Amino acid sequence: MKKTLLGLYAAVTVLLMFWGYYQAIYVAPDESTMHEIQRIFYYHVPSAMVAFLFFAISLAGSIGFLTYRRTRPDWAQISDAWALAGAEVGIVFCTIVLITGPLWGRRAWGIWWTWDARLTTTLVLWLIYVSYLLLRRFAAGPQVQTLAAVLGIFGALDVPIVYMSNRWWRTQHPAPVFGGGPDSGIKDPLMLHAFGWNLLAWLAWGVLILVLRFAVERRQQKIAEAEAQAALDA
Amino acid sequence: MDPVALIDHQYTVAAYAITWIIQLGYVAWLALRWRAQNRAARTAAPSNNY
Repeated sequence: MKKTLLGLYAAVTVLLMFWGYYQAIYVAPDESTMHEIQRIFYYHVPSAMVAFLFFAISLAGSIGFLTYRRTRPDWAQISDAWALAGAEVGIVFCTIVLITGPLWGRRAWGIWWTWDARLTTTLVLWLIYVSYLLLRRFAAGPQVQTLAAVLGIFGALDVPIVYMSNRWWRTQHPAPVFGGGPDSGIKDPLMLHAFGWNLLAWLAWGVLILVLRFAVERRQQKIAEAEAQAALDA
Repeated sequence: MDPVALIDHQYTVAAYAITWIIQLGYVAWLALRWRAQNRAARTAAPSNNY
């Protein structure tokens, strides 16, 4: 039953991805100043939003692990798996943001990169979560999960700074598209629909790979528990 | 197509292609890990992953 539901969800997600692509490339009109390069927006912005959401999931998992590690070890392990899955999949989406953004910027501004607030804080966010994964990969010992949870919480503190950076400071990065004041927002309905479909598609895709990553991590935890038990029994 | 529009098109294609390469590459890596876990569960061999 679970496999059938997952398969169905995956099929709907793939259809959404195709529909989102069609909307972005064939339905949304050319933007008046940036023309075709503006279409990167339909992948860049949803990727950023999904990355933020998954870093928030990692934050929740990290807090859950620290809360339950002494009282409910089984819940702590589940929380830790969500923390890791959220961080890793968040990095995938954040990497896409950091690549698609400069591709757009090179054509729109003539530069690949600038050390403005939005770009710099996003790079810092990516580096913090990469260091989270490196800690989990290369450190050993019983405190790794605790240290990672603390790092995950500190990393999540950068997310609101990234989000607010182009409101608090003057940046090369464009002003907020949503919630940026009376002149913000997507005015063209076809563009708005294309953005909406792509946001839904990327969110669905992100949730799918998040759940898969969580499942992989839970299996890994169970393998580690079985190995530890076998070592004790030997 | 004028040269500016052609380069814009190439950059847009690159952005979309790189996005999909990263996403599908990650899914492929997950699939490989799943398979490795299946093997480990069958043989009870030690795993060097996370």
